[in-house]
Amino acid sequence: MRPKERFLRRLSGQDVDMTPVGCTTAYGAVALMRACGCERPLADTDPAAMAGLALAGHTVAGFEWVKAMGWDITAVSQALGCELGAPQIDLQYFIAGHPFEQRSIDELDCPDDLLSRGRFPAYREQFRILKEKVGDELAIFGMSEGPFTCAANLMGTSNMMRATLKDPKTVEKALEVTTAALARVIDFAFDCGADYYCMADPSSGSDLLSPRSWQKFVFPAMKRLAEAAKGPLVLHICGNTDKIIPMMCDAGVAGISIEEKADLKTAIEVAHAKGVRVFGNVSAASTLFMGTPQECRAEATAALAAGVDFLAPGCGLAPNSPLPNILELRKARDAYFKAQ
Amino acid sequence: MPDIEELLKAMHDEVVSFNEEGVREATAAFNAAEYDPLRGILDGLAAGMNTVGRLFKDQEYFVPEVLLCAEAMNAGVELLKPRMRGAEVKSEGTVVLGTVQGDVHDIGKNLVKMMLEVGGFTVHDLGANVPHERFVEEVLRTDADLVGISAMMTTTMMGMKTVIPMIKAGKPGVGVLVGGAPVTHQIAAMFKADGYTQSAADIVAEAKRVMAATRRAAPACCCQR
Repeated sequence: MRPKERFLRRLSGQDVDMTPVGCTTAYGAVALMRACGCERPLADTDPAAMAGLALAGHTVAGFEWVKAMGWDITAVSQALGCELGAPQIDLQYFIAGHPFEQRSIDELDCPDDLLSRGRFPAYREQFRILKEKVGDELAIFGMSEGPFTCAANLMGTSNMMRATLKDPKTVEKALEVTTAALARVIDFAFDCGADYYCMADPSSGSDLLSPRSWQKFVFPAMKRLAEAAKGPLVLHICGNTDKIIPMMCDAGVAGISIEEKADLKTAIEVAHAKGVRVFGNVSAASTLFMGTPQECRAEATAALAAGVDFLAPGCGLAPNSPLPNILELRKARDAYFKAQ
Repeated sequence: MPDIEELLKAMHDEVVSFNEEGVREATAAFNAAEYDPLRGILDGLAAGMNTVGRLFKDQEYFVPEVLLCAEAMNAGVELLKPRMRGAEVKSEGTVVLGTVQGDVHDIGKNLVKMMLEVGGFTVHDLGANVPHERFVEEVLRTDADLVGISAMMTTTMMGMKTVIPMIKAGKPGVGVLVGGAPVTHQIAAMFKADGYTQSAADIVAEAKRVMAATRRAAPACCCQR
């Protein structure tokens, strides 16, 4: 079975010959940059370099689907006015300023030229290159921050957190704009040829926000985006997501992506009962980054044995993750199914 | 005159329900009755924050609730402070706190700061994105017992590995605690940190444990040989 067919069949719940292996978050690892010659800062801004690094995920790391739209989750926030910190080869773009920390959120709107701002023109070209080179062979996904994280970036996370209890109208207003912006960005990705779209919404995770507030603020935004999307969505949230996984699945997404801090077996049971697929959940920090290849193999094999639908890191690959560790994902999958 | 226990309970309860105005009213009544302001802080406001810490640990409360409870507590502390002049408050220890160089995230570090202050520690907060040398300078300046270092990203977390030996070389015997989303027990041990907690709710107990352990391990003075 060809990788793209395997991926798309699995995502829609059909039978496949083996579990696809790859990464549904960012994989801007320095080892991959060095292997393909596409390093930051070009790998963040130049379409050819971005595409080169995306393809290295397949040619070097053995991933069976590839990522468009950069190696961080700041692009929509940037287009809406957030200041970014300068990246280095082993440091992705990060949010350095919150334009609505002091200003009223009433001044926030979704600009008409959103998709001409920031890195979106480069993303369009990156999609074109990837579609031309591997569009028939590999699934291609677009990715960005989710609506809650984007709103928290704009307002400042502490302000956003306080407002969920003291000023819910401000949170709703911010989410209205970020959700509208995300809807346009998701449309953009599918129009550019994405096979699916992944939203990472770490600021809405249960390390910060209560499941009650997730239901109140995040769930409606996710549902709205899933209903409007022209293709399948995957929702990634870091940390222990056990208490919000049922809601994540009910939002209408095709897949969820979870970390090792969540209970994978229970997540799979809950998700499958709702027709949702699970990506994960090899620890990006303590195993793929800090662990040994043997530990990576063991954790990947455990995820496969638990029945994960897509074997993947639990979160974005840390930039300095060693290549031998990353390679263990593919090796573990191949060995697991050879032994079956 | 209102009963002191009733007022302390009201101060506690209003902190837990993050009602800043309620905290002010209860604290004003406590002040009007001229009760001991130190008791008001310890057995009223800080006791409320300890309950909040437990609720946070039990996942009844999350970051928004904790932030608002801390602000409510601080509103009460501000009203008691003017009557505290001259009162002797014994500090549990001195902690230098900061988010590691290159990392701008500070919510977790701020929660740790609140918990330590409520637990009776004197905290010197260096903020976020703290250059390695600043930790060492501040430890020496304040003669700190402990240093708390936070990181939110795997990339910046590696700065802990660099800064911990620098701090230990600057002041041997100081206890170093680390925390943050990507940090685990194993990583803390690998970086030779003395303490780690997964949740800010456990920081006071861990800080006390590390202080006791580092004191025991401190070399005897030459005259005791």
